[in-house]
Amino acid sequence: MLDQQSDNLKTPEESLSWSGIGKAILNPIANFYHVSMEIIGLISVALKASTLLLNRRRRLLFYSLFQRQVYNAGVSALYVNGVIGFLIGTLLISRLFDYLPRQIIEDQFGQIFVVVVFRELGPLISGIILIARSATAITSEIGYLRLQREFQVLNGLGINPVFLFLLPVFFAFPVSLFLMFIYFDVVVFLSSFAVVWVSDPSISFTGLLANILSQITLNEIAINAVKAILGGMLIGIISIYFGAKVVDSFTEVTESISKATTAQLLVFFIINVLLSLLAYTQ
Amino acid sequence: MPLFVNNLNIEYPGKVLFKDLQVEVEDQKIVAVRTEVLDGGTTLLKGLAGMLDGIDGEVRLDGLDLLHMDPAQRALKVGYVYEQQGLVSLYDCFQNIALPLQFHTTTRNELVETRIFSLCEKFNVDRQLLNEYPHALNDVQCRMINLLRALVIEPKLLLVDELEGGMSEKVLGDTIDTLREEQKNNAMIVIITTADDLLLDQADDSYQIDDKKLRACH
Repeated sequence: MLDQQSDNLKTPEESLSWSGIGKAILNPIANFYHVSMEIIGLISVALKASTLLLNRRRRLLFYSLFQRQVYNAGVSALYVNGVIGFLIGTLLISRLFDYLPRQIIEDQFGQIFVVVVFRELGPLISGIILIARSATAITSEIGYLRLQREFQVLNGLGINPVFLFLLPVFFAFPVSLFLMFIYFDVVVFLSSFAVVWVSDPSISFTGLLANILSQITLNEIAINAVKAILGGMLIGIISIYFGAKVVDSFTEVTESISKATTAQLLVFFIINVLLSLLAYTQ
Repeated sequence: MPLFVNNLNIEYPGKVLFKDLQVEVEDQKIVAVRTEVLDGGTTLLKGLAGMLDGIDGEVRLDGLDLLHMDPAQRALKVGYVYEQQGLVSLYDCFQNIALPLQFHTTTRNELVETRIFSLCEKFNVDRQLLNEYPHALNDVQCRMINLLRALVIEPKLLLVDELEGGMSEKVLGDTIDTLREEQKNNAMIVIITTADDLLLDQADDSYQIDDKKLRACH
């Protein structure tokens, strides 16, 4: 501890020296590398623990916790996802009306919807909601379980804590995220249609829907599924990683939530941007 | 000899708690270890249970090496009752008690339920408590649920960390009597750390921690 404090108390001369600048650049990189390796290790631990699911009794124990996570993270998010989807749907179409002729909007609605909502906004906003609503809760839950020494309790019972505490989140978050993509897209479409219909009641619901569906290829669905699987899995693992860093004090829980949320937002945006660039760049 | 402890050394960085510990306990005995604050009573029980890493020595139960055996197999031989907490917050009390059986065995759910209800009856634990989550329990209730979870596996070695806190003499006496009844059905050794004279008197053998070893009290 004293060493850490003395490290922080550098004179301005030390900070401005070449070694000080080198450390300032290299330390975050080394730290990032270290955390990345530990998270990859945690993913491999989770995959290894998945073999326990081959046992029917254990699968039943897992399933109740998995259901709880899907309900809390995915199903309960319908309300907030719906409200945000509604706002974005109405905003998107009313803005488009300001800039584009109505005929173009009607003809190109499917393409605009898929490029803006289905590919980018849906995954990004759903991911942010998952991080804000559920990932923070998981980080604090795992931190609490660590404070209560419940990992040790399970070890004492000969039960791998990864099986009960990590695995349900590892599998439930991707499922929940994919559900949230669907809610979001459906609500944005319905609210967009409502705005279009108010300005032109003759417009056909099925026509607009068919217009969108014709634009959604199997490739689009696969890219969104990869975003949900990779994004959901990493968001869950990062929550557990930082939650499990809690050792003794409640203040460590708040610190873990802050670090986990920062990492999750960065990772999730990077995944989305990279996948979109890889998949949709001509 | 059912429990045989030989040259057990337990130490934390910078502090030796037990050195060359030797204990032998016969079957169906209740052994009490007088414990003071922070004298290593809990560490001793965890050491015997094989729950600590990096300790030297030998702990054999019916010939099985507890320190080096598979944790899942050990969990079906050794029951541990925590002094505080010790339950899984995600589960209610019933699920907590059933967890070791459901995870490690193929015991049918009906049989698990029957065994839990039977233990509740024997130890005077209200069945309604089984629907509660750990946060709703007081210390005594929490310890009793810990006790039932340890007993549900029908262990060969039961380790109890300070059972008496907050319990009336009658409840404590009744619990010990019931444990003796259980020993008739399931030949187990019970080791209890305690600061309670009643428990020390009721035990078949009692020890106290002295100079990193266990010394017989009487």
